[in-house]
Amino acid sequence: MNSSSARYFSPAVLVSLLAGLVFSYPFLWMFLSAFKTNKEIYQPLLLFPADYEWDAFAALFSGKYLDFTSFFLNSVFISCMQALFATAVTACAGFAFAKLNFRFKGAFFLLAVLVILVPKQALAIPLFEWLTWLELNGSRWAVILPGIASGLGIVFFTQIFSRIPNELIDLARVEGASLPRTFLAILPLVAPALVTYGLIHFILAWQEHLFPLLLLSDANQTLPLGLAKLRDSSHRIPEAVAMAAATFTLVPVVALFAVFYGKMRTALAELTLH
Amino acid sequence: MPLGLSVDLALQHPDYVPGYREDAAPQGGEGGGSATSGSADWLNVSWEPEEEAANEPVEKYVGFGNFSYVLGDPKFHKALGNTALYVLGTIGIALPLAFFLAHFLRQVPGRMRPVLSFLLLLPGLCLSGVLATLFQLFFHGREGALNQWFVVPMGFEPINWLLDPSFVLPALVLQAVWRWAGFIVLFFLCGMEAIPKAYYEAARVEGAGAWRVLRTITFPAVRHVTVFAAVFLVIDGFASFSGAYNLLGGSGGILDSGLLLVTYLYQVAFPGGSGQFDFPAAAAMSLLVVPLTALVLFLVLFGRNRFSRT
Repeated sequence: MNSSSARYFSPAVLVSLLAGLVFSYPFLWMFLSAFKTNKEIYQPLLLFPADYEWDAFAALFSGKYLDFTSFFLNSVFISCMQALFATAVTACAGFAFAKLNFRFKGAFFLLAVLVILVPKQALAIPLFEWLTWLELNGSRWAVILPGIASGLGIVFFTQIFSRIPNELIDLARVEGASLPRTFLAILPLVAPALVTYGLIHFILAWQEHLFPLLLLSDANQTLPLGLAKLRDSSHRIPEAVAMAAATFTLVPVVALFAVFYGKMRTALAELTLH
Repeated sequence: MPLGLSVDLALQHPDYVPGYREDAAPQGGEGGGSATSGSADWLNVSWEPEEEAANEPVEKYVGFGNFSYVLGDPKFHKALGNTALYVLGTIGIALPLAFFLAHFLRQVPGRMRPVLSFLLLLPGLCLSGVLATLFQLFFHGREGALNQWFVVPMGFEPINWLLDPSFVLPALVLQAVWRWAGFIVLFFLCGMEAIPKAYYEAARVEGAGAWRVLRTITFPAVRHVTVFAAVFLVIDGFASFSGAYNLLGGSGGILDSGLLLVTYLYQVAFPGGSGQFDFPAAAAMSLLVVPLTALVLFLVLFGRNRFSRT
């Protein structure tokens, strides 16, 4: 008992605690600022508001300044679709790279690595022209489709699947299972990896700013764009509304992360081991 | 360029006023020709290059004109230099910080560890627009946390982070560090937890000091994590747009001291930023960014040749 309580107050714990507080204190401030007046918000060292008014949240959801609910739903739809399709496509590709033999395999894998190396934003203009050509410009699929291609996912799943023993695949073949069936039978074995990758892709899609800005029409805009609108240069909207919106952009991601954090740690630890 | 330049940009930027920058570049006459033929006309062009070409010579092959224009543009050089400094600064601060934080976190008792690492992760989870907003309202400013907690107690004058040219870039770097350090700590932590306990016990038996253990056991064991994190920060640094866009509103900040490559690309390609419209030069420029980034990354990766392990 004595030794364990001593460990709770070691310098390492204090440093970590301090760092954790410094990193996350602004978010507490952000949440509490949703209740403040502009005058209170412009005093950054003030943490607690004088009194708690829910006006900012009410204004946000009544659509007084912009239709926040539709921004939110657009973001959820785009991020979910991207995460779902990207996980499905890259898991298939990873399985093929890890377990199958085909021509130009090395070259294709190099292409996948190159896709990681080239930042997506650098391809913004060619993509913009492509999507105009496909007449997808302005729709939500204009953001979802380019988001599905992920080099990182391919490399990640190739690593994951290459750790599945070949005997399992051979066994399935001997039993007469088709290739898609074999793949489906193996999937439960890599469940933590699927969840981890889906989660990471969801977060990346959720944060994306440039592509939605360039590609989405006014009816299909996402949360990052809405947030920028709430804090435009005219300052006619109370800062508390932006703070309330910012809090709501954080809630789904944090909830997802809190639920799947353990699974994610497992998958990451397995990956760094090998 | 068969896909034509007659893209309906007005759709994205209702505040755009068509106009042609005379000093722009030796490019095809798209912008100029259309602007003289009337703005309403131009705004409604659907993409029909053949028909256009019949009326007036819209597209002309200019060889490497756009490339040489971009390469000669001082703003491009500025953006390139800024981005390099930004990437180096972020890596130089975030990696050591994350390494030591992970080292300390590893000594934290099991129950508290996930909570603390989750607190560190929080900035990485949220939109960079939120980070920029918080930076403006909370950290920045005379009364802001950065000045009141760090600068003033150390005996300096309060810094105007976003308006002083020499502090715009450090402000962006600080924001990036705050954002990504948590994720890198998580990666380091996973790597460190995989180190067999026996190594540390052997070191203790041999009488090695804490610093020596850190240097000879912990650091080599997580070296591939370091490489992975560095690559991630390089990619993110070259592609970073949102943070700078939110902080500086699409401009390069005062004297362009915070101008990053993607912000420059955005300014050049899409009106609304600084008002110029120069689509071909922007396309050329984005073609320049790609091999550049690839080059830097290949230097990082194949200097060590360990990427396939991460």
